[in-house]
Amino acid sequence: MGVTILQQFPIENRTGPATIELLTKRISALGAVQQGHFLVDCETYSSVANLGPPRTVHVLHNSEQPASCFSILDTGTKTIPLAADGLFDLLMLKMNYFYQAKKQTKAESKGPRFEIGDFCVKLGTVTVSQNFKGILVEVEYRPCVVPGMCWELIREFMQGVLGSSVQSNPPPYLATRMQENYTPIDTIHQYLEHFTMFRKSPGMRT
Amino acid sequence: MTDLEQLQTALHSLKVLRSNVGIAFESVSNGLRADHGEDGKENKFILELQELLSTVNNNLRDVEGAVSNLSIPPGPFALGNTIYLSQEVTQERQSLYVQLVNSYKWTDKIRDYSALAGNILASNSVNKTYKTFSTTKRRKTQTSTHNVPPEVIENLITGIDRLFPDVTITASRPFVPNPVIQASLSRVLKAVIAFKGLMIEWVVVKAHSESNDLWTESRYKVFKKVTENCHAAMCHFHSPTMPELAVKSFMHWFHSYNTLFSNPCKRCGNYLYSNLPPTWRDLRTLEPYHEECK
Repeated sequence: MGVTILQQFPIENRTGPATIELLTKRISALGAVQQGHFLVDCETYSSVANLGPPRTVHVLHNSEQPASCFSILDTGTKTIPLAADGLFDLLMLKMNYFYQAKKQTKAESKGPRFEIGDFCVKLGTVTVSQNFKGILVEVEYRPCVVPGMCWELIREFMQGVLGSSVQSNPPPYLATRMQENYTPIDTIHQYLEHFTMFRKSPGMRT
Repeated sequence: MTDLEQLQTALHSLKVLRSNVGIAFESVSNGLRADHGEDGKENKFILELQELLSTVNNNLRDVEGAVSNLSIPPGPFALGNTIYLSQEVTQERQSLYVQLVNSYKWTDKIRDYSALAGNILASNSVNKTYKTFSTTKRRKTQTSTHNVPPEVIENLITGIDRLFPDVTITASRPFVPNPVIQASLSRVLKAVIAFKGLMIEWVVVKAHSESNDLWTESRYKVFKKVTENCHAAMCHFHSPTMPELAVKSFMHWFHSYNTLFSNPCKRCGNYLYSNLPPTWRDLRTLEPYHEECK
């Protein structure tokens, strides 16, 4: 498990599949080999009215950690992350009386997964309740666990693949945690941030 | 020498004779074949047989010629104790002779190769043991680098541990005088270093999440490269006369890897070259370089 940076890739006037194909061609030209597919999904539950102040629970799965189920509880004032076994999904079903799934909000990012040297690159097509929303590119540098040490290195790699669309600063979520050890839940946080933005935007987010 | 060559030619011609006799017999046993055609097939077959037999005849002449050239060995062969093997009666031990010959060949080859290697190595000074050949000034006997009391090594290791605050060292002693230490370099990497007395014997560099096993290499390309470079540095810093200094300079050099991911290459200014960070550190200046840029 290494440091992962998630960023959106602008579609401009292309379609989703055409953008994925463009990126696949670019990264294959650099010598990457495709290693299967990946999927990250997110379901959001909100508390019922008689449970006091409104709270939201986001439940996410990442195919990179297939036996785990991640959840983030948002109380409005703070967020509480939790990594649990896959059985947590069944527990959420039991809590149907307190937390109800929001309609039409299931977000997913899925697509091909590539390995190149010690890097792992995932090109994800984002859909919110089956509607195409945009492209998310995930780049993981596996040997390093401290974001502050390898951010510049990852940025240089991303510039090589994605061109000028790469930001010069780390994602806001990571910026405050640059010297801490990176864990899988940090990837989940980054995905949730992007999914929330995708859900808010009415059409495609470019 | 000529004897041996003659023996070889005789054996060779014997082999040719045997193979051609074999072919002749095969042809006889097969009888008429389809490729002899319909008309005059008997004649064709007889002609073919005659040809084969004449080759056999020629071969036989060759063998006789070669054999007559051989000189008769002067006396019985001196086989040493191996002659008693012929008196062995149990079935399973009769194959011992073949094994004996094979191992004899092996030791012979080893002698040849080691003589060659000795010649080559003598001209290069990578001696692991220190010897003075001067007879005029007798120095006091050098402390051996292999065989030192455990306390000396213990002191050296704690010394290194104190020298670098961001290197944490844990030692284990699978074999009493030879510790295996695990040196963690802040949060970048860890190295498993095996000592032989005061010498560094083996180094493996890995990620923190990987096992401490001395024999498996890291699964990450960057740490495999760093392991290779550590081996090069280990040989470079090795000094039989001042073993403690050698270990210290190696650790000093190793310590410069704490910027493995965060420093760009001194030559090209980039972080990455063929998807690897600068994995080489200059032995004197400790500056980072890509392997291709150094």
